[in-house]
Amino acid sequence: MSSKRKMIEKQAKYLAAENRKNDPDIKKVYWFPDEAEVRLVEVHTTIPKSLDGEIRPFYFRPDPAGRLPAPSGIALIRPDEAKKLPPPTDWGGWDIAEELK
Amino acid sequence: MSWREAFLRQARSENEIRRLLNKPNVKYSHRLHYLQMVTEKLAKAGLANPSDTDSPKTSHNAFVRYLQTLKGRAFTQRQLGYASRKAYRKFIDSILPQAHEIERLAPSVAAMTQPNPEYPWRDPRTGDISAPADYDFPELDPLRSDMLKIEKMIEQLLVVLT
Repeated sequence: MSSKRKMIEKQAKYLAAENRKNDPDIKKVYWFPDEAEVRLVEVHTTIPKSLDGEIRPFYFRPDPAGRLPAPSGIALIRPDEAKKLPPPTDWGGWDIAEELK
Repeated sequence: MSWREAFLRQARSENEIRRLLNKPNVKYSHRLHYLQMVTEKLAKAGLANPSDTDSPKTSHNAFVRYLQTLKGRAFTQRQLGYASRKAYRKFIDSILPQAHEIERLAPSVAAMTQPNPEYPWRDPRTGDISAPADYDFPELDPLRSDMLKIEKMIEQLLVVLT
């Protein structure tokens, strides 16, 4: 595994843990591995249903001072949308997603 | 300029117009129209990957989703000056219902059957046609504390987002 990929994975785990702490309505976090940015899909119990049938991530710039050296894309979906809604095409499919416990 | 920067620039500019419209002799619908447009541009800026040259895709209810995404962001919490995670979360939760109401003002959602600040509509029950300029939008009264809070949040986001 490359050092960049290790850094991305570390940030993904950190972000997943932080976001869970900040928002108890996040029940699961899926990571879509990538070499350049952190890509997370968070399963949220109170989010409105997706009306266009696709996962739309919000993107955030890096924040090295805040332990986030890589850019990140984060999407919220409802529990019944997990593994059903298609992720953005450049994220790959659900088959590569890893659940971060 | 990236799509993200362009949407943020436009949101900031529209917000300046929204402020200018905050006058007793200007119909509230105009101010609300700009508020709805600012929230739309803010959410689109969030949906635009800074490293991507493609335009962000259209998405419904993006503003509410954006606020809910920000709720989990410790970085944004700090940027907005919240030392307490609980207080930050509580604040965002308190503005979500109003954010949803603002989102429903978009012509694509309101169609011509619900009050919205841009186009006249026909009440499906009474058949009456109304013009936005004549409607007070009581559910979005600018003096309500949740409206004041959401306007404050929008102003802050326009400052801290890059």
